[in-house]
Amino acid sequence: MMEIAINLLIILIKILVILAIALGIGAYLTLVERKVAAHIQRRPGPMVVGWHGLLQPIADGVKLITKEDLFPRYGNRFLYNLALIMALVPAVLVFAVVPFGPTIEIGGREIKPILTDVNVGILLVFGLGSLAVYAIALAGWASNSKYALIGSMRKAGIIISYEVAITFAVMGPLMLAGTLSTFEIVQAQIDQKLWYFWVQPVAFVVYMFSLLAETGRIPFDIQEAEAELVTGFTVEYGGIKFGLFPLVEWYVEVLTLSAIAVVLFFGGWSPINIPFLGFVDPLFFLGPFAPFVWFVLKVALLLLFVLWLHWTLPRYRIDQITAIAWKVMLPLALLNLVITAVIAPLIWR
Amino acid sequence: MFKLIVFIIFSAWAVISSLGVVLFSNPVYVILWLLSALISIAGIFFVAGAELVGALQLIIYAVAIAVFYIFVLTAVPWEKALKKDSHYRVEGVIAFPFIILLYIEMFIVFTLGVMASPKKQLKLFIERIGNAEVVGSILFSKYFIAFEIVSLVLLMGMIGAVLIGRKESQTYDGDTS
Repeated sequence: MMEIAINLLIILIKILVILAIALGIGAYLTLVERKVAAHIQRRPGPMVVGWHGLLQPIADGVKLITKEDLFPRYGNRFLYNLALIMALVPAVLVFAVVPFGPTIEIGGREIKPILTDVNVGILLVFGLGSLAVYAIALAGWASNSKYALIGSMRKAGIIISYEVAITFAVMGPLMLAGTLSTFEIVQAQIDQKLWYFWVQPVAFVVYMFSLLAETGRIPFDIQEAEAELVTGFTVEYGGIKFGLFPLVEWYVEVLTLSAIAVVLFFGGWSPINIPFLGFVDPLFFLGPFAPFVWFVLKVALLLLFVLWLHWTLPRYRIDQITAIAWKVMLPLALLNLVITAVIAPLIWR
Repeated sequence: MFKLIVFIIFSAWAVISSLGVVLFSNPVYVILWLLSALISIAGIFFVAGAELVGALQLIIYAVAIAVFYIFVLTAVPWEKALKKDSHYRVEGVIAFPFIILLYIEMFIVFTLGVMASPKKQLKLFIERIGNAEVVGSILFSKYFIAFEIVSLVLLMGMIGAVLIGRKESQTYDGDTS
């Protein structure tokens, strides 16, 4: 009985930590994005609220919550609100299969810093991740506005195209690791002394393209396209409801997909890798905290890369985006898959 | 015990959602009930320990297939969705014998499945090696020919769809004025 209670407590703590990470860091990423954007354009960015604008996300939140809640006439109120829930829940659920570090011991009890180590973790990531398309389609339909509808149709088209490419792209690393569990993929990279990025650069490029497309980041943010569609499917949402969609799409989803990219291609919590030789750890003085710091560091770098792209590139047209998906990304991913399938058994078996 | 409670929750959810699919008239609500039913069935798979099947259920049915329905329905005009001219009562009655036939088939397949592993060898096999490996090894050894034939059929379907969806270049000949 005691055992069950302790296990439940551990699971509860894990859930709380993951929720805090997903939503808290997600909210603070708005500040990071504004700061990065500002410095790219040589302006200071938010400076007024707190030191260098550190309290800006809280001020934004208070402002959005106290705004009047508008609702479009002839819209469908139930679906309009359901879309919000369907955007938020799957995006946060994906964190359940992200491993944050190696197994640790607290009070003689082994704890894996991952909520559920399912043996099909990676499939769940993409299954849950693409459930976001329903939120967007519903938001577009329930708003009863043509801009919102056009935006949601574009987004659905993009997600369907890139979901195929991303699934085939991750098959390469999966084949090298020989498992679908996120925890064991990282373990396999540590055992083989190899980040899969060194042998799967093509898969990584396809993955990054799909990441940008699925989260609606800038070269592929055609569903928002403020110049032509106002802001796409969020156009009829106001106040905090408007704030939630970008929070989920631009920050929480980018965070999860970056974490999964680190797990698949950059060896999760392992230090800097020299292919086939071993690991170099400049952060050895942190002791047991080093793996967690490495994981956070890698995810942060990947996130900054995405932000950097956002404020550098122009926007593509919708037909160009889907054409790239089907005519370039999918064949590349398939080719990579075939080559991996031929070469990998020669090296490891 | 705990497993049983979770199973009952998921199956009740599945039954309620299936009733919702049949009883609601607004097509968008129907799609949402269908989505809910598919997700609850994925949950049942997870409870039963068939994690691979559950994840595939989520990816293939809940995302890839139901999203196409959403795709079609978002293009349906608002007023038409509220009319009830999509209810076919005669067809519903005709469909009834086929439903019973399907149930009989399900029952036969189920009893065959139980008879195939009377001493729970299959369960031991699954527990010995992981879930995805089991499906892979069975698919590529015992059912190899069936698997290849099915993939061939899918390939032909794909080529057919590309052929039908292709724009003929002659269509634009007259536009070069």
